[in-house]
Amino acid sequence: MGMLRQSVNIAAKEWRLLLRNPHGLAVLFLMPAAFILVMSFALKNTLTSAHVEFPRTGWVIEDGSPIAAQWAKEWTLRNGGELVASRALLQETLRARRVQAGVIVLPQWLDDQGKPRADHIELWLSNRIQPAAASRLRAELSYSVLQLQMKMAAAAAGPFASILLGSSSSAELLPASGALQIRYLYEIESGRKMTAVQQSVPAWLIFGMFFVVIPIAGVLIQERNDGTLTRMATFGVTPGAVLGGKLIAFMALNWIQLIFMLLVGRWLVPLLGGDTLYLDLPLGWFLLMVAATSAAAVGLALLIAAHTRSFDHAAALGGGANVVLGAIAGIMVPRPLMPAGMQTVSEWSPMGWALDGMQSVFLGTPDAAEIVPKASLLLVFAAVCLLLSWRPIRHQERAD
Amino acid sequence: MNPALLSAENISYRYPKQSEQALRGVDLSLSRGQVLGLLGPNGSGKSTLINVLIGLRTAQGGSIRQFGDRAPVIAWVPQEFAFYPQLTCRENLQFFVSMLDVSAAEGAARVEQVEQSCVLQEFAVKLARHCSGGVRRRLNIAIALIQQPDVLLLDEPTVGVDPQTRAFLLDHVRQLARRGVAILYATHYMEEVSAVCSQILLLDHGKVLASGDLQTLLRGSDGTAPFDSLEALFMHYTKRSLRD
Repeated sequence: MGMLRQSVNIAAKEWRLLLRNPHGLAVLFLMPAAFILVMSFALKNTLTSAHVEFPRTGWVIEDGSPIAAQWAKEWTLRNGGELVASRALLQETLRARRVQAGVIVLPQWLDDQGKPRADHIELWLSNRIQPAAASRLRAELSYSVLQLQMKMAAAAAGPFASILLGSSSSAELLPASGALQIRYLYEIESGRKMTAVQQSVPAWLIFGMFFVVIPIAGVLIQERNDGTLTRMATFGVTPGAVLGGKLIAFMALNWIQLIFMLLVGRWLVPLLGGDTLYLDLPLGWFLLMVAATSAAAVGLALLIAAHTRSFDHAAALGGGANVVLGAIAGIMVPRPLMPAGMQTVSEWSPMGWALDGMQSVFLGTPDAAEIVPKASLLLVFAAVCLLLSWRPIRHQERAD
Repeated sequence: MNPALLSAENISYRYPKQSEQALRGVDLSLSRGQVLGLLGPNGSGKSTLINVLIGLRTAQGGSIRQFGDRAPVIAWVPQEFAFYPQLTCRENLQFFVSMLDVSAAEGAARVEQVEQSCVLQEFAVKLARHCSGGVRRRLNIAIALIQQPDVLLLDEPTVGVDPQTRAFLLDHVRQLARRGVAILYATHYMEEVSAVCSQILLLDHGKVLASGDLQTLLRGSDGTAPFDSLEALFMHYTKRSLRD
C-alpha cells in the first residue's frame, strides 16, 4: 500500500512537471496535429481522389503522314496541350515545366498496312510528374491508338466491318504491353535510368542539414546559461563575431554530413543491393546549392536557438519545425503526389527551395535560371534569420 | 594614494519593466593597488554595479570615467563558471586568449603565465567538467587574468570552495594588488573582506549606505558606536529583514 501511495504521488508530481513544461507538451500535441494537417493535404489526391488531373502535354510529330498530324490535333483539342516543333524544344519545355509530359510520334508510325504502331510513340515524362497522372496519360494514349486502329480497320472492312471486328479479339488490336517507350527527362539528359537513390539522397540530405539546429541550440544555450557568452562580450567579442563563428563551424559540419550521405548513396546502398548514386553532378551548381542550403539551415537553427530559453525548448521547436517543413517541402511525400495547391505551398518553403535546386542538380543538367533563384531565396532567408538572431544574441551577451 | 584608474559618479540604473531603481546615485573610485570590498545583501545591486562598470549594462544616469595614458584593461570574474566544461583547462585559456588582439606567441606566453600563477599546470589537459570546484574557480579567475587587467572585478569568487582554495585565492588577490591591479571584490564573506580589502562600499537597495576606509568605518562615526566586527557593521546598516 505504501508503494502504491508513493507511485500515485510520483505520478501526480510527473503531471505537475509536465504541465510546467509547455514546450514538451507542444511537441506531444501540436507537432502531430501539424503533421496530420500537412500529410492529409499532401496525400489528398493520392489516396482519396478518383479524378486524376490530365498532365499538360507537348507533342512532336516526326511522322509525315496526315493521320499523325490529325491525331495529334484532335488529341490536343480534346485534352489540351501544345504542338512543339522539335525534340530539343520539347526537352526545353519539359525542363521549364511548361508541360509535364511529351509525346513524340516517330517516323514510320504507320505500318505496312497503314495501321498506327504504339511502339513508334515515345512518351517523355517530367522528373516530377505525378505517377497517377503519368499512368492516366499512358492509358489514354494506348486507348487512343487502339481506337484509331479500330476506326481504320472498320474503314478498310467497309460494310462487313461488324462481322470482321466481331471475329477478332481485342487483344490483337491492343498495343503490346509497354509498347510505348517511356523515358523520364532525367534519363534523356543523363542517359541513365531514374533510381530511388538518385531521388532520395538530395531530399534526405537537406533534411539532415536542417537538423543542425540541435547541436547549435546545445552550444548557444549552454553559452548563455553558463555566462560564457557574456564573458566573451567582456573580451570585446561582438554578436556578429559569435554568429559568424557559428555559421562557419556548423556550415563545415553540414559539408561533412554531405560527404557522409553521398558515401552512403554511392557505396553502402549498392552494397546492400540497391542502385548506385551517380555523382557526376554539375559541380559549380552543386556547390552553390549546398552552400545556400547550409547557410539557410544554420541561419534557421541560430534563429531558433537565439529565441529559445532552454535546450528542451529549442530541441522541441527546432525538431518539430524541421519535420513539418520537411513534410511541406516534399521530403516525406514526393511533391508530385501532392495536390496543386499544396505543391505551390511546398515550392515556397526553405526546404522546398533547397529540394528544387538539389533535385535539379541530382536529376539533370540545370542552368542558372533553375538554380540561381532557388539559391538566392535560400541566401536571403539565411540573411533574414541571422539578422533576427543578432538582437537576442546581443541582448544575451550584454544582459541589458 | 595611487592615481585612480576607474571611477563611477552618481550611477543610476533601472531594469526594463521594473519600477524600482537597481542603482541609485552610486559613486566609487578604484586606484592602482587598491582592493575595494563591495558588500551588500542579496539583490542589493552588487552584480548590477559590476555589470555597469564592465560595460555589460549601460547606466541611465551618471558617468563612468577611465583614467591613464591608455584606457585601462578591465576584466571580470563572474560568479558562475563561465567557460566551456567540454574543453580542457588549457583549451579554455587558449580560446579566450585567441579572442584578444595579441600575437600567437604572446597568447601562448600568457596562457603559460596564468597556468603557473593559478596553479593549473597539473590540470591543463583535463576537461574542465572533470575538475574539482576549486580548480574550476581558479580557471574562472585565470581566464580573466589572461587579459592582463589593470582593473579586476571579482563577483563572489570564492563561492563553494574549500578553505585551502579560499586561502590561495585571497593570497592571489593580495599579490595582484601589490602588482598594482585595482580590484573590486564583491562577496558575502566578511572575513574575506577583512583579510584583503583596505576600503569597503556597502550597498543596499541600490544605494551606498557606507563607504570608505574599513578601519575608519569600524571605529564608528558621530551617530554610531564602534563596531566589534565587519559583520556587526553590515547588520547595523542593512538591518535583519530577509531579502529576495
